[in-house]
Amino acid sequence: MSDDAAGDNRVRNAALVGILVVAVLAATALDLPIVDIVTIGFVERSLQAATPIALTAIGGLYAEKSGVFNIGVEGFMIFGAATAATTMWIISGGSPGQGDVWLAILASVLVSLAFAVVFAVLLIRYEADQIVAGLALWFIGLGFGPFMAVLVWDSRNSPSLEGINDLTVPVLADVPVLGPIFFDTSPLVLFTAVLAVVAWKFLNDTRYGYWIQAAGENPEALDTAGIDVTRVRYAAVIFSGVMAGLGGAVLLAHAGSFTGTGETMVSGRGWIGIVAYLFGNYNPIGAAVAALVFGGLDMLQIQLQTVGIEVPNRLVNLFPYAGVILVLTVWGSTRTPSAVGETYESEE
Amino acid sequence: MLRASVIERLAIATASTALALLIGVTIVAAAGYDPVQFITSMLQGALGGQSAVARTLRFSTLFILTGVAVAVAFRAGVFNIGVQGQFVVGGFMTIMSIVWTAPLLPEGAVGGVGLILIGFVAGAGSGGLYGALPGALKAYADANVIITTIMLNFIATGVVGWLVQNPFRGEGNAAPNTERIPEYVSFPSILFDSSGFSIVGLAIALAVVAVIYVVMERSRFGYDMVTSGHQESAATYSGVDAKRTVVSTMTLSGMVAGIAGAVFAIMIQGYYTDPSGIGTYGFDAIAVSLLAANNPLGIIPAGLLFGGLESAGSHIGIYTDVPVQLIDGVIGLVILFVAVPELFRMAAVRTGLGGEKR
Repeated sequence: MSDDAAGDNRVRNAALVGILVVAVLAATALDLPIVDIVTIGFVERSLQAATPIALTAIGGLYAEKSGVFNIGVEGFMIFGAATAATTMWIISGGSPGQGDVWLAILASVLVSLAFAVVFAVLLIRYEADQIVAGLALWFIGLGFGPFMAVLVWDSRNSPSLEGINDLTVPVLADVPVLGPIFFDTSPLVLFTAVLAVVAWKFLNDTRYGYWIQAAGENPEALDTAGIDVTRVRYAAVIFSGVMAGLGGAVLLAHAGSFTGTGETMVSGRGWIGIVAYLFGNYNPIGAAVAALVFGGLDMLQIQLQTVGIEVPNRLVNLFPYAGVILVLTVWGSTRTPSAVGETYESEE
Repeated sequence: MLRASVIERLAIATASTALALLIGVTIVAAAGYDPVQFITSMLQGALGGQSAVARTLRFSTLFILTGVAVAVAFRAGVFNIGVQGQFVVGGFMTIMSIVWTAPLLPEGAVGGVGLILIGFVAGAGSGGLYGALPGALKAYADANVIITTIMLNFIATGVVGWLVQNPFRGEGNAAPNTERIPEYVSFPSILFDSSGFSIVGLAIALAVVAVIYVVMERSRFGYDMVTSGHQESAATYSGVDAKRTVVSTMTLSGMVAGIAGAVFAIMIQGYYTDPSGIGTYGFDAIAVSLLAANNPLGIIPAGLLFGGLESAGSHIGIYTDVPVQLIDGVIGLVILFVAVPELFRMAAVRTGLGGEKR
């Protein structure tokens, strides 16, 4: 790490500490009951809200590390959620159970895989403009996601479907604090936490992880070493599409029904995922922690209500978006991999 | 795409639209609807009769204005995805400024024109400010414009939605709407006797196109904007302040979006309502601008095409069972294909229609 990057990190950390101190001081000054706001239930809900964002962020991070900016993750999430919802309904004949939820998530992953392959071919083989094509994918999702819902239910929103049950791990669930947060909640939360660690390990400690980083930082060197840059990028982009699709499916599995009005139930979570990995400085664990911050902002509304602070829902719902702008303003100048957005053509 | 000739761009735009529509029709057929009937009702919805044409032109007016707003920014290399938010803020401020100042001015035609002017100034001003904010964040904090503008869209919709529901809801309104602007604050009906469309609105849109064309292509300011977007180092070398240029680009883009909001507010609605239900003109505008290769003059045919699509969409929404969301998806496909000129170049080479081999 260069001195410059180390300096950047110090500035970031100082800023983060500064914001926390200001938040605590403000809370004390306004006499807010912090203990009543940050409850175990709040952390549990925040983690569930953070899960789809974290999955999307980890995927997007891999793509960008490999040198391709997958800005289409929001679209993948919409397709993931819509596919999971419609599949769950169709395979169960209208009365889904727990097994159908898992099958729906699986179906959603497979459909996302197919879309991701096509998208990767357009980006890499046909050198599509990454920003415009990514935006296009969002619009395609905004159109065809609700379209699927209308075909199945004659409405942009689904009726109540099945949500995923909590998984209670015996013994571990009784551990104070950590028990209810990780071992008596949606199994997808634990899955995501494990995945974040694995993704971090894989990126930094395996040969393929190095290849991904080299494809984004110095593709010529990777090519010289005899590794096919294009193939590494395909793998990373397809992975990011699948992860975002999974994120959408998980969002649906936690919500238990599909909403297709407005910007759909995904409502910017894919974009927030991109910010989460920028905020996490391209580190999968950092990205997951950042996702938790946004998940917490998303769930703050219930907490404020329980302690009797009246803020209109409509405005509290905007906290995550305002949070994103704040984060980008303070941490905006992240050091992106140097070859992001450039197509690479081997000399051979 | 920058190096492509005008004919190539035109071919890409046509091929993208045709391919997207073809996929749309295929999906319609695959979903079990009658594709021939679908195409007939699309055409009928866009062009069948005076009221259909008026509706098409009404949508086209908005697409031309929002399209130009997008083009200003994209041309300068600034990805302003926030035209929708700037459109909403501009439209809302137009209505509120007219409602607030109406008691101070005389009633009738003179007062009407005065209020329309006030509305336009408020719309353009507030839209410009709402665009300047992400511009400044980009220039001075390096915050990604794509993401900040998308977030500001959500915030604009949420805050205006709350404002019209609560503090600014018109007295005695059951629906979450602001007060109505006075009857005499409206564009005259010339040629078309249709509520919601006046040729004056279209004329304003075309005038804005002309002004922006001159600014972008013929002025020093436009030249600096475009060069700093595409050759930042060259622009800096010739003494252009890149940071200030980003802010002014975003301000100009937001102002045009605000004017679009003002036209929408005065010509179509006459009051303001929850923006989550008013249509996504600012998003579709991205497709309009890209289809026109971000050229202000190209926006006119692209805006007419999208006006026709949208008008056809509202027709099939009423008269057929085909879900109208299909049109949104087709618009997304158009953008996707426009982003991949290489696809068409290769196809052209393969089929012997032209295009250079590399």
